[in-house]
This record gives sequence, C-alpha cells and structure tokens, in this order.
Amino acid sequence: MEATLDPVLQVIALLAIVVGSFFSLIGVLGFVRLPDVYTRLHAAGKVSVFGAALLALAAVAVGSLGLGKALVLIALLVIAGPAVSHALASAAYRTGVPMTNAMRDDLARRRGRSLPFAQPSDPSSDLPV
Amino acid sequence: MENILNNAIALALIGHVLLILIPLWRVVRGQSPVDRLLGVELASVLILCVLVLIAMFTGQDIYMDVALIVAALSFIGTLALAKYLADQRMF
Repeated sequence: MEATLDPVLQVIALLAIVVGSFFSLIGVLGFVRLPDVYTRLHAAGKVSVFGAALLALAAVAVGSLGLGKALVLIALLVIAGPAVSHALASAAYRTGVPMTNAMRDDLARRRGRSLPFAQPSDPSSDLPV
Repeated sequence: MENILNNAIALALIGHVLLILIPLWRVVRGQSPVDRLLGVELASVLILCVLVLIAMFTGQDIYMDVALIVAALSFIGTLALAKYLADQRMF
C-alpha cells in the first residue's frame, strides 16, 4: 500500500469501508429475513446502491482508483440498482408470486386482472392520494 | 494508521466473501424463480464489492476495471432474465 497517505484520506477511507460493509451486511440480512420477494427486493437494493458505492468512495480515498473511473462505477450502480429492482418486481408480479400479508394491491384494481390472493381495496378505504 | 486501514480492508474483504454464500444458498433453495434470480443479482453485487476491496488491498488498479465490467454485465444479464421470466419469451 502507499506509504504517504495523509491521515484525513485514511480516515475517510476507513469510515467509508465500515459504513459500506454495514450497509451490505444489513442488505443481506434483510434479504434473508424478509418474507416475500417484493420486500426482499427492497433489501437487495440497499446493498448495490449504498454498499458498493461507499466502497468505491473508499477506493478513491485510498488512491487505488481514479476519480473519473469511480464516478462511472458509482453512476452505473446508482442507475442499475433501481432499474433491476423494478424489472424483478414486475417479473415477480406478472408471474404471480404471492405477497405475504399484503395490505392492498393497487395494481390489481387498475389492471382489472386481480391475482387470486390480492383483493382490490375498496375505494372508500383509499388514502387521499 | 496505515495498518488499521489495511486490517479494515482485509476484514471487510473476508466479511464480504462470507456474505456471498447467503444469496447463493437462496439461489439453491429459492421459493420462486424470481427469488433465485434476485439471489444471483445480490451475489453479483457482492462479488463487485469483493473486487473493489481486492483492488484496495493489493493496490493494483486492474481489479477496478473488472469490477466495472461485472457491474455492467450483471445488470444486463439480470434484466434479460427478468424479462424472460415475465414474458416467457426473450424478444
């Protein structure tokens, strides 16, 4: 590793690594614990957007990664994460993966094709959206 | 200060490598096909984190390029598989 690295950058790198690893740990923990696909997607999204992006930031601070390349990596992750989660959620919904203890299913009402488990919520109980 | 950073990188590296096994277990035992695809996607993101940490630990920048490629390819691969699962056909 480089010898001459002023302490400020090292502290930033250390903090970014610790927080990044914490986020990926929480993401994987959520991935294991949450009941169905849709909530698990929420947990998996955290790992890619926060965990890897913070680690890339730490790599910039350590100096083993040019700032330009790190920005490309972080931009790719921040754009790719939600897009993949959305694609997986719509794939799960269209293949009929059931939602455990779903409170309401707005999509069923609008698309007219309600899945067996999802009862369209009656309009009176709608939130003033 | 230098070795604290090195130890932190090594610890994070070992932690992330162990974290990869959990989504892979879900891929083997997944309830629904989308579940298993999500496990593959999460494992690839964790592999990306491991690559970034290896780049920091060894100091070689070539691993960063590998991480970029893994990020791009796993994104496209997961999107294609999700579309295949949703529509039962690719194009």
